[in-house]
Amino acid sequence: MNLKKMNKGLDFLRGKYGAKAGEITVRDGHCFVGSTPLLPGRMERKIVELKKMTENGTLEGVSTLRFASFAPKGADLEAMLAKELDLAAYLGASDVVRVMAVANGNAINVLAKLANDVNVSVEAGAGLPKGAAAYDRHEIIAKRGVACDQTVDTHTPHASIRVSNADGVEEFTDVDTELFGMTYEEVWNVRAAFALLQGRASAKVWKAAWAKAEKAAALAFAADRAKAARTIAVKCGLDTNEAIKTSEVR
Amino acid sequence: MKPVKIAMMGMTHGHTRKYYQTLLDNEKLDWVASCAQDEESKKVYELYKTGVPCYLDPDEMYRKHPDIEAVVIASANDRHFGQMKWCAERGIHILSMKIPTFDMKEYDEMVEMCEKAGIVCQIELEMHYNSVVRRLEKLVKEGAVGRIKAVQMTNITLSPVWAFPWQGDPKASFGSVVPLKKGDPRFRGGALCDHPHIFDLVRHLTGSDFDYIYAEVAPNLRDGLKVEDMLMAVGKMKDGTAFLFDPSWSRLEEKLKVPGPGWERFPKRMEVNVTITGDKGMISCDCFGPNVYHNGAPNDRYTVQYTYFDEWIGLIDEFVACIRERKTPLINLKWHRETIQAMLGCYESIQSGKIAKIG
Repeated sequence: MNLKKMNKGLDFLRGKYGAKAGEITVRDGHCFVGSTPLLPGRMERKIVELKKMTENGTLEGVSTLRFASFAPKGADLEAMLAKELDLAAYLGASDVVRVMAVANGNAINVLAKLANDVNVSVEAGAGLPKGAAAYDRHEIIAKRGVACDQTVDTHTPHASIRVSNADGVEEFTDVDTELFGMTYEEVWNVRAAFALLQGRASAKVWKAAWAKAEKAAALAFAADRAKAARTIAVKCGLDTNEAIKTSEVR
Repeated sequence: MKPVKIAMMGMTHGHTRKYYQTLLDNEKLDWVASCAQDEESKKVYELYKTGVPCYLDPDEMYRKHPDIEAVVIASANDRHFGQMKWCAERGIHILSMKIPTFDMKEYDEMVEMCEKAGIVCQIELEMHYNSVVRRLEKLVKEGAVGRIKAVQMTNITLSPVWAFPWQGDPKASFGSVVPLKKGDPRFRGGALCDHPHIFDLVRHLTGSDFDYIYAEVAPNLRDGLKVEDMLMAVGKMKDGTAFLFDPSWSRLEEKLKVPGPGWERFPKRMEVNVTITGDKGMISCDCFGPNVYHNGAPNDRYTVQYTYFDEWIGLIDEFVACIRERKTPLINLKWHRETIQAMLGCYESIQSGKIAKIG
């Protein structure tokens, strides 16, 4: 991630639309604004659309979430899992209360339960070659409707552009006109920081949500070692899975 | 920068609703008023609860908001000339929908009156502000596939005629009632008039002008439609680039009065796809993909939920910059003239059965 470019993009958005001052920093590979961890996954447009579908009646009676996340060798598997478990709680609108997992080297398969009884599976692996683009998949299965960020009859993401020439084949998917030129990861971290500085996302909620996600991910690895599911107590109080307000541009 | 006081006019164009969020969000704009063509379009406008007052008489709107600096003309094609004139007479900058007019005499009068009034007239071809198109243009410019030899472009959609009936009315859409060809009961004014983007984009990608074009209409998919809904065109640019265009309404739709969820019957209601063959490689491009997909409410059909769709933001940013910094828009009336001529060339070719020379 290019922090200088990201903060320039953040300043551009703040200047254009208005937001309080702040900058993005990185600690242990995770982006923060001040002491608040960013949740860029929740800002990804595809996650925003999926979240809307769970709330606007497109999907009814969510039963199961099937997620996957793959990254190049050397990626932090626990951080990848924390992100997916946070998205599970967010899209399932309920906290993770139980995790079971089987890990082997650079891969882990997780079966988790949300407080509302929804099942979650996450396959995570850091086995892609160095330099390869990470990818993921989020499928929501409900009594009425299945929604997914990958189209039917595919198992890897579609790209907007494919260039084939003497150098080989290269793919491009640009997702944000205002932040054109940034990587996918950079775009959503900037959008997350902007949402926080605009007050559309709550620092209190994100701190609590990320703490829960990190705990659930750590317990998944513990469950693998113990060969037994781990339970997480749910505390009443702050709802950390409410939708973030986003602009409609269609 | 002082926000531009902006209004909308007509409110009957299919793109009308796409401006609402951008006009409200962008701090460089102050959306002060709207003026609907009739009670029916006012009622539809009010469904969106923008909080911006809507009038039925442009003069009343202007009396109450004399500080209006710019107008988005969001109306049927045959209303554009009169509304542009109204704006030009008041020195109001114009953002026009994608077809200013197909009447080239009228078109030239538009150019003249905008120049005389010293106003910005930007044509809404929002695809240029689509991040995928931006990447495509960058790749071509950088020589990723070398010199372009051939281009295939689709701009295929559902038909908006049920929600926006003027788009199925030859006079309102084409500007005059002209039969497609001898023995054909249909008239000019259908799918072709809805899809100028690819005729424009090929000019940007190649840097060349149209040489000639040949087009054919196919049997309509929709019974009772007075205008064409299926057609294809081939031709050459002056630099030799061979092109194939599909500007059809080839995706069926539910007959909704107000666009919304469940409008599409085919999963994807709109596609702009490009294939470029160059002398050093190839590019294939889906300007509206990837997305998110579902088979939930309202119709339990597999449906594309458009996900990355922010071209209106860049379009409006350019418009504001042109007004405040006295710049000329990328898609201005003079530039756009050849695009309209190429579209007219399609109709001429359909009528004659021969190629139509452009320019």
